[in-house]
Amino acid sequence: MSGGFKDAKKDGSDPAGTSMSNGHMGIREISAGVAGGKWSAYEITEMYIDKIKSMDDRIGAFLTICEESARAQAKAVDEKIRSGKQPGKLAGVPVAVKDNICTDGIRTTCASRMLENFVPPYNAAVIEKLINEDAVIVGKTNMDEFAMGSSTENSAFRITKNPRDVTRVPGGSSGGSAAAVAAGMVPVSLGSDTGGSIRQPDAFCGIVGLKPTYGLVSRYGLIAFGSSLDQIGPMSKTVEDCALMLEAIQGRDDRDSTSYRGEYQQDYAGRLSGDIKGLKIAVLKEYFTDGLENEIASSLNESIRRLEGLETSVDEVSLPAAGDGLSAYYIISSAEASSNLARYDSIRYGYRPKEYADVDELMEKSRSEAFGTEVKRRIMLGTYALSSGYYDAYYKRAQKYRKLLRSQLAGVFEKYDLILGPTSPVLPFKIGERSGDPLQMYLADIYTIIVNLAGLPAISVPCGFSRDGLPIGLQLIGPHYGEQVLLQAAYALEQDLKLGL
Amino acid sequence: MKISKEEVIYIAKLAKLRFSDEEAEKMTGEFESILGHFQSIDRMDLENVDPDEFADRKESIVRADENVVFGDNEKLFSNAGSMRGTFIQVPRILE
Repeated sequence: MSGGFKDAKKDGSDPAGTSMSNGHMGIREISAGVAGGKWSAYEITEMYIDKIKSMDDRIGAFLTICEESARAQAKAVDEKIRSGKQPGKLAGVPVAVKDNICTDGIRTTCASRMLENFVPPYNAAVIEKLINEDAVIVGKTNMDEFAMGSSTENSAFRITKNPRDVTRVPGGSSGGSAAAVAAGMVPVSLGSDTGGSIRQPDAFCGIVGLKPTYGLVSRYGLIAFGSSLDQIGPMSKTVEDCALMLEAIQGRDDRDSTSYRGEYQQDYAGRLSGDIKGLKIAVLKEYFTDGLENEIASSLNESIRRLEGLETSVDEVSLPAAGDGLSAYYIISSAEASSNLARYDSIRYGYRPKEYADVDELMEKSRSEAFGTEVKRRIMLGTYALSSGYYDAYYKRAQKYRKLLRSQLAGVFEKYDLILGPTSPVLPFKIGERSGDPLQMYLADIYTIIVNLAGLPAISVPCGFSRDGLPIGLQLIGPHYGEQVLLQAAYALEQDLKLGL
Repeated sequence: MKISKEEVIYIAKLAKLRFSDEEAEKMTGEFESILGHFQSIDRMDLENVDPDEFADRKESIVRADENVVFGDNEKLFSNAGSMRGTFIQVPRILE
């Protein structure tokens, strides 16, 4: 960056971080500057807190700004460096964290009245890891309540606006984390993805986001929605930052029984290059149907031509199960949600109603008063799908579908390195446009959900703009633990397209 | 897919939720529309698929059941609705 740091610091309102060419600092630049004494972690933290304070009234990305704890963390990083210790890979890097990831001593609400005053007594595994690498947690971001939604309009507390057009939604459910990065209020953030909740807001806000292979990142301390689908992942301006964040947060954790027990690759970012010659890419026929907006299809076709120009081969393939995933996804995720959210009984933690006659009324009243409409709807759907008489028709069939999908996808990965498709069938929509019709909202997830059902990794990268300047995202899906090839292809495309986001 | 308001109210009871008449009415309509869409799953040929998600997994994941002391009890119970000494207080269950 060209001396932008000093200028930006003088004027806290400087939206410098909004474009690469205009002062966006990535992880390497910030951490090298902190480690080398060019600036302190404290100065960096102050600068980003100033940015958040001056910009977030307009965007609404944050639910909590962690000023005090962030300053304390930053001071500890500076002290560590002064004392001659080796700084971590994320030294002084400000990170925003979705508000369903537990932070010790910092309110974690899931954007729900149910957890409005919940202060976790421990850190999630990913927070421990970030702090071990000397990152600074600057705030907790808005989301759809309990991560249920695709627009962040289901938050009990505030509406988050898309920084690229504030009349539009940022996507969801990790909408706050995406908007914070897109607006330049933080260089990187964490989201969670149960059916597309990292990738779809990234596409809507024009940033990069990775949903790792199920098991690669510990779910310990992530407030559960659909436990067989949930995964935490990084969101950033660049593919390189995404890779560096993944290096920091992945790893085996015995507190999560689904944690991967094999070898973890350590150096994703170091291996990135523009060379993807010979890569075999499959384009799913089922993803290019009537539901896909024309501008998204043509932007994707342009990216496909670019990839072919990089000497990859791109073939159209058919995966019959891919078009039918939505029902199975909503049955399984709602079933798991109804079971996971049964823990909110108002006894050990959570909202407590003013009056109640007995324990049953305490539970019923707290749940009815504190859960929002969409959360109740999913609990109801899940309870219905699991109830006696309907279990075989819904849940069991959905599990069978899931197995079939996994085997069909495995077949594709025998012949291809990656699958390419759109991230979202639609461009960012207007605030309020879809919130009245739950089924319409569910359809926004149509291209992302198969990834979660199959436990695969996938990345969303910006691939262009609509005529109105709205960002368009492209999704690459990899085989299990294929993060390196995903990041490599995304990086090559990013370098080739040079969108200057 | 036909769903009655009574069914919705019954499911709500199972889920420990309470709806007003108006809310139950609205939820019934939305349920019909969503479950109508879910029926697409009936059209798939899933006859010979084994639904056991983990049948291909070779080892089961277990860990030793060990006590770990959290330490800071005050912090641990700081989110409880009401406490009496070191116990979480709940409304009377037995008469």
